[in-house]
Amino acid sequence: METFLGKIKDRISVNFDLEKSSIDIEKKRVDVQIRKEQIPSILRYMKENMSFRHLMHASVVDWLEEGKFEVIFMLWAPKEKIRVFVRTKLDRENPIMENLDMIWPQLNTYEREFKEMYGIEFTGLVAPEEFILEDWDGPPPMRRDFDTEAYAKDVFSERIGREDAQDVRETIAKRSGEVIPDFAKKHSR
Amino acid sequence: MKREKATTLYFGPQHPGITGNMMIRLKVEGDTIVKATTEVGYLHRAFEKLVEKRNWIQSFTLMCRFCVPEPDPVENTYARAVEMIAGIEIPERAKWIRVLILELARMSSLLLWHAGQGHSLGLYTMGQWSVGDRNYLLDLFEELTGARIYHMYVWPGGVRKDFPEGFGERVLKTMDYFEKKLPDYDNLLFENSIFQKRAQGVGIVSPEQIIEHGVVGQPLRAAGIKSDIRIDDPYEVYEKLKFDVPTQTDSDIWARALVRREELRQSIRIIRQVIDKIPKGEVYTKLPNPQKWTIPAGDAFARTESVRGEVGMYLVSDGGNKPRRAHFRGAAYVHAVSLLEDVLVGANIADVSAIMNSLGTCPPEIER
Amino acid sequence: MDYGIYQDKLTRIVSDIARSHSLWVLAYGTGCGAIEVPATMTSRYDAERLGVRGAATPRQADVLMITGYLTVKTLKRVIRVYEQMQDPKYVIGFGSCAINGGMYWDSYNTIKQLDLYLPVDVYISGCMPRPEAVLEGFAKLQEQIKAGEAIGATKYKENLDYYRGNQKKIIKNWDFPDYNW
Repeated sequence: METFLGKIKDRISVNFDLEKSSIDIEKKRVDVQIRKEQIPSILRYMKENMSFRHLMHASVVDWLEEGKFEVIFMLWAPKEKIRVFVRTKLDRENPIMENLDMIWPQLNTYEREFKEMYGIEFTGLVAPEEFILEDWDGPPPMRRDFDTEAYAKDVFSERIGREDAQDVRETIAKRSGEVIPDFAKKHSR
Repeated sequence: MKREKATTLYFGPQHPGITGNMMIRLKVEGDTIVKATTEVGYLHRAFEKLVEKRNWIQSFTLMCRFCVPEPDPVENTYARAVEMIAGIEIPERAKWIRVLILELARMSSLLLWHAGQGHSLGLYTMGQWSVGDRNYLLDLFEELTGARIYHMYVWPGGVRKDFPEGFGERVLKTMDYFEKKLPDYDNLLFENSIFQKRAQGVGIVSPEQIIEHGVVGQPLRAAGIKSDIRIDDPYEVYEKLKFDVPTQTDSDIWARALVRREELRQSIRIIRQVIDKIPKGEVYTKLPNPQKWTIPAGDAFARTESVRGEVGMYLVSDGGNKPRRAHFRGAAYVHAVSLLEDVLVGANIADVSAIMNSLGTCPPEIER
Repeated sequence: MDYGIYQDKLTRIVSDIARSHSLWVLAYGTGCGAIEVPATMTSRYDAERLGVRGAATPRQADVLMITGYLTVKTLKRVIRVYEQMQDPKYVIGFGSCAINGGMYWDSYNTIKQLDLYLPVDVYISGCMPRPEAVLEGFAKLQEQIKAGEAIGATKYKENLDYYRGNQKKIIKNWDFPDYNW
């Protein structure tokens, strides 16, 4: 297995200029990191020349401390039963990537989500403006600097009584004037 | 012939034929759909944001709520992703119990599908039978986990509790009941000539669409491709179990219905094997104090074969006590948006609901 | 002697009894609670023996069930659906998310108190409420109707400004027609 994964890694690194690469034997996985300009060509190469035909998932991670967005494409080869993770880092201030939905049309859905939730621009993406949110005028909500609790407190009012309902049994007893005996208090939580 | 002008028709969100809470904007000429645009987002609860604010065990209680008809595959996916990053080995018995739970969930969701597919074509008796019988499975869940729908049972490190006394026999008894009952379902649904006529040749997914859209689950198997995560990328103890992966070749609603019909039988077969072979022992690995539990930095992608196909979770830890990112990929994520838009073109308005049911559209897992 | 007042009262009592035994629930699964509705309606729990059954369109329905959390996007549709329904109409809030936000208390996209936006007659607690709980909720609603206490719809019309104010606070692009009842 180790040599097989190594061969896959070598074959990718011969054709592309990788920033980082590693293999994980236990998870049967090859990880490669690459500049964002090369993403379309590497995905196309993996799909058409290396039998990684199934795109399992694509995801974005917000590394706020580094000032980067990490975009990950997870590929799967049905025959060889191997995963390859193709990663790239985008600048958090100006996240722009090329549209990829001609390689896998399902990426269109992912791109719409990333655009809305992280504010990543995909040049050439043809899709309706809104995907999940409607009339949203705040910052992209999945960014780590968006504080959902503060927003919820600000926009929606919390029902009175929630804040003291940490111990449900005691709260109900207090409201109805019931006395909980000492021996039962310990187990009331 | 004079060309008819296309009319726009809003299908949902309040519509008795739609599965869940979503909307499809149809452009129709007469009764034929020329363009379909799905609109989702009515169920967006921002799970993935909330997970980032809760610690590893608190997040686990959110997991089952991702997809309503089948919470257990998602729980299992999360638990395995955490175990992969943290390097936790779980006891053998827990793995077997997880398989049992997953297969019971598969059965319960397939029974719900029977009802939905019947409803979508005007066959309301099917729902009365299969949803009524599904209660027997929910009773088993309730006995084992304490809840009918949201079990919160499969957690990182194993499962929460061992079997109650005599649980195995009761599972087998329920399986006996279902085996007795399945011929009735055949009579009512699969041998019903109206269902056959309306299902055959409708909602065809072409071989090109399968690769382009990353189709998974029954639509894939109904097109003749034998693909099942339980065999391709085995998890828990599926390697030790004998079961078949049914396939069909027509790739229409009827073919997918036949695949599901057989899957229900295979699930019963797996459950019988589990009860027969389950070893004795512990059911969970003891974890550190959940409030202070930190997991080393790393990432993992775990996937599970749910009822509607492959579900996966990409989980990232930055070494803290909360997940950095948990991104869930549901089977319906591509089925219900990009694939559905393509498949609906050329169909009739009356078939929309049947096609949605057949592809396994589940809005809560699209927008999460 | 003028019997008009007694006649009115008698008509009201009789029609309330009749109404309480014919509750048509709008088929709109707004949230995850929709999973227990089929179980309640079908053979084991059989809600139809209480006169509870599904209705396909808002114009035919009497009861709007808010099954669980309500996102802002759905709330807009739900208000529209509620205003399309004909009197008499009742609202059932289903599950802890409808009551106080439940486990989504800090989510940016779900509402936390349903009764700020719609007049709720009965709340059913739990996550997920069992079919028995749902049936009890319906029984409670029937009691209220018989006692003439389920007057949420009247309250909504009387205090429309209050409800509209709350609704407009979170729905940003307000494009509803103005009704005049």
